[in-house]
Amino acid sequence: MAQGLSKNHRQLDLAEAIAKRWHWKVNVSCDTALSQCYVECDRNQLLELCRWLIDDMDYALGSLIVEETNENWLLRYVFYGEPDSEAVHLGLRLDKAEKTTVPSISPIIHAADWQEREAWDLFGLRFEGHPRLIDIVRHEAWPAEIYPMRKNFDGSQPGPHPPVERPFQPYHVVQAPGAFLMPIGPVFSDAAESALFLLESVGEDVIRIWPRFFYKFRGVEKIAEGQAVDRVLLLAERFSGTSSFAHSLAFCQAVEAICRVDLPSRAQALRIVFAELERFRHHVAAIAGICNSTALAVATSQAGILEEEALRLSGTLTGHRYLFGLNKPGGVTLDLNDRQCEDLSSGVQAIFLKLARLYDLLRYSSSFLDRLEEVGMVTKDQARNYGLVGPIARASGLARDLRQVLPYALYSEISFEVPQEEEGDGYARLRLLFREAEQSAKILQKILSFLPPGEIAAREVALKPGAALGWAEAPRGATFHWVRLDEQGRVRRYHLTTPSFTNWHGFHFAAEDFAYQDFPIIMASFGLSNAECDR
Amino acid sequence: MWEWVWEGIRSGIVTTAYPAREETASGVSPGFPTDLPRTFAAAGEASVAASCCPTEALLSEDQQVVLREPRCIHCYRCLRQTETPLAWQWQGNYEWAVSPHPRVELAKKFGRSFRRSLHLRILDAGACGACLSEIEQLNKPYYNMHRLGFFVTPTPRDADVLVVAGPMTEHMRQPLLSAYEAMPTPKAVLALGACAIFGGVFGTSFASMGGVASLIPVDILVPGCPPPPLAILHALLALIGRVEPAACELNSSSPGGERGD
Amino acid sequence: MIDPKRLFFLFLILCGAGVVLAALLPRRANRVVLAWIGSLSSLTILWVGGAVLLSGQAWQVDLWNIWSLGPMVLKMDRLSALFVFIAGLVFLPVSIFSASYMNLPKYVKRYGFKSFGIYYHLLLAAIVLLLVAGDMLSFLLAWEAMSIFSYLLVNYEHEKEDTTKAGYLMLSLGEAGTIAVVLAFFLLARTATGLDFPALRAAAAGMGQASAWAIFLLSFFGFGVKAGLVPTNIWLPLAHPAAPSNVSAILSGVILNLGLYGIVRFNADLLPVKDIGAGAIVLIVGSISALVGILYAVIRNDMKEMLAHSSIENIGIITAGLGAGFIFRIAGLPALAGIAFIAAFYHLLNHSLYKALLFLGAGAVDYSAGERNMDRLGGLIRVMPWTSLFFLVGALSIAALPPFNGFVSEWLTLQTMLRSVELSSMGIKIIFALCAAALALTAALAVTCFVKAFAMSFLGLARSPKASKAVEVNRSMQAPMAILALCCLLFGILPTYVIPVLDNTIATFTHEHMVDELVPPFFTAPQGNARFPQEFVSEFHDLGAQVGRTFLPGQGLVVMHRGTEHNPVVYAMSTSYTFVVLILLMGGSLILFRVLTRSRKVDRGPVWAGGVRQLLPKMTYTATGFSNPVRVIFEAVFRPVIFDEMRETVAEHFLIAVKSQRQEVYILERTMFSPLARLGRWLAALLGKIHSGSVNLYAAYILISLGIVLIIQRLM
Repeated sequence: MAQGLSKNHRQLDLAEAIAKRWHWKVNVSCDTALSQCYVECDRNQLLELCRWLIDDMDYALGSLIVEETNENWLLRYVFYGEPDSEAVHLGLRLDKAEKTTVPSISPIIHAADWQEREAWDLFGLRFEGHPRLIDIVRHEAWPAEIYPMRKNFDGSQPGPHPPVERPFQPYHVVQAPGAFLMPIGPVFSDAAESALFLLESVGEDVIRIWPRFFYKFRGVEKIAEGQAVDRVLLLAERFSGTSSFAHSLAFCQAVEAICRVDLPSRAQALRIVFAELERFRHHVAAIAGICNSTALAVATSQAGILEEEALRLSGTLTGHRYLFGLNKPGGVTLDLNDRQCEDLSSGVQAIFLKLARLYDLLRYSSSFLDRLEEVGMVTKDQARNYGLVGPIARASGLARDLRQVLPYALYSEISFEVPQEEEGDGYARLRLLFREAEQSAKILQKILSFLPPGEIAAREVALKPGAALGWAEAPRGATFHWVRLDEQGRVRRYHLTTPSFTNWHGFHFAAEDFAYQDFPIIMASFGLSNAECDR
Repeated sequence: MWEWVWEGIRSGIVTTAYPAREETASGVSPGFPTDLPRTFAAAGEASVAASCCPTEALLSEDQQVVLREPRCIHCYRCLRQTETPLAWQWQGNYEWAVSPHPRVELAKKFGRSFRRSLHLRILDAGACGACLSEIEQLNKPYYNMHRLGFFVTPTPRDADVLVVAGPMTEHMRQPLLSAYEAMPTPKAVLALGACAIFGGVFGTSFASMGGVASLIPVDILVPGCPPPPLAILHALLALIGRVEPAACELNSSSPGGERGD
Repeated sequence: MIDPKRLFFLFLILCGAGVVLAALLPRRANRVVLAWIGSLSSLTILWVGGAVLLSGQAWQVDLWNIWSLGPMVLKMDRLSALFVFIAGLVFLPVSIFSASYMNLPKYVKRYGFKSFGIYYHLLLAAIVLLLVAGDMLSFLLAWEAMSIFSYLLVNYEHEKEDTTKAGYLMLSLGEAGTIAVVLAFFLLARTATGLDFPALRAAAAGMGQASAWAIFLLSFFGFGVKAGLVPTNIWLPLAHPAAPSNVSAILSGVILNLGLYGIVRFNADLLPVKDIGAGAIVLIVGSISALVGILYAVIRNDMKEMLAHSSIENIGIITAGLGAGFIFRIAGLPALAGIAFIAAFYHLLNHSLYKALLFLGAGAVDYSAGERNMDRLGGLIRVMPWTSLFFLVGALSIAALPPFNGFVSEWLTLQTMLRSVELSSMGIKIIFALCAAALALTAALAVTCFVKAFAMSFLGLARSPKASKAVEVNRSMQAPMAILALCCLLFGILPTYVIPVLDNTIATFTHEHMVDELVPPFFTAPQGNARFPQEFVSEFHDLGAQVGRTFLPGQGLVVMHRGTEHNPVVYAMSTSYTFVVLILLMGGSLILFRVLTRSRKVDRGPVWAGGVRQLLPKMTYTATGFSNPVRVIFEAVFRPVIFDEMRETVAEHFLIAVKSQRQEVYILERTMFSPLARLGRWLAALLGKIHSGSVNLYAAYILISLGIVLIIQRLM
């Protein structure tokens, strides 16, 4: 209770500080239950507010949400900060009638770069002052004036396939004699996800990398519109299969926030169980990926064995190897009995022990470390400027974790450590994966030992119109789901900001001035998912 | 160095005995609902019961509910989230790859010389990552598809089978066509997972074409979301005629047989 | 049989006619007429040279007797004849090529053809006169004429600053070399009774060691400048890109040879080197030239600059062969010396052929695409198939791949290097081992270099609009390349016919015939061949090695070096048989493939490029990228200067440009000429100080110098 009070207090402070600073010109409202502070501002104050939040308050940009109403464009900039400080939403309302341009915040907050480009591509919103407002989502085959997320675009049918009007001209910056772009993809490697990487080089060393994504663009946000919540839930958990529980969790939490549902604590505890199980499995898979990229066959096999064991454990206990179909608004769909809890606990523990052994072996394999150390460097400053999230940011010394910053489920009631590494190279990321896997295993032990009794879901979830932000710390980092429901309880707007999208933006730092043969290692040490990025 | 050798030896052989013997470990497959032939009191009741399925995998026929495996995405809603739990059993089988062609025809396509050396090119046409993850498991010790003569190749030029996962996004349409064109004959297409079969939860929309069959002829389909590694293995074995494909009805709504060319 | 002497005068008359016609004829007819005259005069010298080479009958013409200097003599022996023959082989296709090539707008508009025609024929005459000069005076006169006319031709585009600079450098370094040559001649002539070569040869016999060394060093330096040897070849990579391509062909194919001719004439004929150290110097300089040449050839992207560096490499290989010959000769191994000389001369001949071919190919590319930078070329094989084919032949030859000519001579050179085990001195053995290693590395890098040259220019996608608009050159430009390509093949597959001729040539100064060492009459007369054991002969006979005898006259088709009794054959090879086998294998595979796939439908698909919609030229490998590994590995040699490295960003994080420019200053310029130039400037500044402008001071200088002169006079 005391904690809640002090939090309440600080929130008022922040609101007051904002109001004071901008001479009561802005409209500030706080919602403790959602732990957010909403600031309605106009276009002239936007840049100043953003700069203040970033520079003085040390906030980070989480998401940029664009909504279209009949008359207006509603833009919502979501910021989050240090642990236990509430999120700040900056709202910007623009008239649709005039030829709309939006002041770009990218020059001061580089993290907004791709978000603004995405908004430009999907809505046709021109961001004034953005230095490189080139397409990111729509590829060359798209007709120039069709913006798929606008309400007047019917997204239900596959479009005709007109001849390509504007051939793809890759962006490149190296001006040196003999410079060329080496294309990798979109179909490449063994079972790599589709994306095109253009490696700028003059031979031997790669100077700069230009990734091109959205080959896997499935238009999740568009096809969710007008759908019932339980259909959108399927999209939320299945657009990125390797982090499905975290995303369905964020979506469910957004819906629960709209409908003001209180969850039984057993449901919340089970959500932690599944979320940590997913994180654990993901990290094991990521470690296997790194071993594979360095062509260390035995380690790859060992990590592969552990990954499959984790998958089988999930499959045995939940029915689904990738934890699909476990969440629903109001709780979870599956209970674990004591026996199952014990199985899970001991299963995770067994895998973790083998993982620790693997880590010990890897740590003393110099040929392995040689390929990871000082490869794919991302410094703390770079991570902060680009707003990187998840293990990548934490391996660069930026320890932000939504489980601590904006605690959800029961995370505020259990103690856990957020590991952090400073070097920001491939090895630091590997170490961090091991340490996070260890933390997940510990959290699992802890929460499984005293699962609170009770229901596994709220009795009734009455859908109401409204909008709310749901978030979760997915295995790859922070994800934000913005959901707006209409009167019929259908989804009117669904916006996703995923950790892969955020982190791919900063990928080029790691892939700068490196030798060709390090490319797969850098990719693996980032361990990002294009499905999560492309949506 | 020696530690690694020892570690490799120490962990022993974990590889599944499939296809020689059935795999009995738990958690290898999400399975499908079984025990379906339950008679409802009225046709309306059956259709209500079937309506819990978001992908129309359950179909009410008169007073009965039947399952169309290719459309099932293991959401467990018919089991866990219905008003009156249908008390269906889920069974963990995995031999469920289906083909529009009978086994004889499949075996004829590649002939004997491919039986122990089949090269796959995996094409991600918008897969969520789970399908690809399951394919990667095939390369790893538990399933080790190399022992059966299946290999993944980085270029379609060397590939015999194009494994397509995902709902066939608009942006991958052209890469898919050029990859298919680049493959030498004889070539086959494997539609991996519910998305590649009918679009899965993404369906047909401006960004995805709802399955591979709308672009290229498909030779074998592996239902599942995602199909477990053993199901993929079964599909590959069926493709070269080493095992029988599942006897499952491929009706009009699950494409694959539509384009016979 | 026409008398070669008369033909020779016909040649001189033709050259004269060329000069006169070039001055008089109207523009339009000019090029064609001159091409005809050039070709005819080339044919006459081919005939003259060929006749002397085959018959071995030297001819001599005594010209005027000049007071106090003796008679001026023209004499063609086999050594001269070989070089004249090579000059003819190069000049003939180049003359034909020039007719169309000089049609380039950049030449026609600004410079006209008149001056080119005059200088071209004068240069031809000067070169031939130089080669047949039989005394010091005519030699030096012809040498100067050759230097000046070649300078004028290189400097054809005299309105370009780079060209003039390159021309001046060429001229000044050449003159420095000439001075050294003149000094060497003076030293040699000091005790001679006359200035003709027999008199000089006679005087050399009694030469002291110090004088011999001085003459060797001076002549080697002097001729080395012209030949393009390290360390005085700095002019060569600059002159080639500056000169028109046909002139480059002559420069590399003929004029560099003249330097080698001088070295051979001086150090093998007039004053044979007697000290093994001198031979070692030649060997080392040759090997270093080869290595430095090829290293820079690999990293240069201008086609002609690359070829220029490659010329340095080849001249280096030839010189190394000569050095090996000198050493073997002094060490008392005449057979090995002969082989070494044969290898060197063979390589010289080959280099002239394929380098002329490659320069004409580069010229054709330049003519058609207007671009020589390989980074901006690409895909020419589709639009210029014939040029590509001929360039490919040249590239294969120069990369020393069988069955082309480069292989034979480079193989012989390397084999000769390995024979250094026969030597007794450990030091020389080590030098040989190192040089052989350097040459082996050179050979490997040469392959890299010409894979790059061919692949980056002719394969892939056009990387610039210019390259995509190129069209095939006309027949009169293809024909000369075809001639040279055919020569490359013929000299490659028929070494057993070339080696006896070369053997006769080297006999003019070694006075021994070595042909039996390399081309034994083994297969032509299997019986009664005492040199090889009978069972060995019949073994070869059973293998079918005598087949050539039945339809080819002469020496058989196998090059074989005889060894001792225990090891009857040290090495053996036959490019002729290789060629036949290659043809059979390739043709057979093709036929087999066709037969096997006859019933099958063959699908041809587009290039698989990872599924990108369109593979852009920007996405293909560049020449710089291809050679970058070499650049990185040999960074210690190249010492690249990176300047202008700059990252431009907008709004702190948006990268919009990474600019970087890298330059590798030529190693000799860096280590020798720049310091020398600095020293020169420093000295000049020092001397400048004494010029105060005061008359009194100048008077004092005169007084002081007078005093010094008097004192010296007194002391002496």
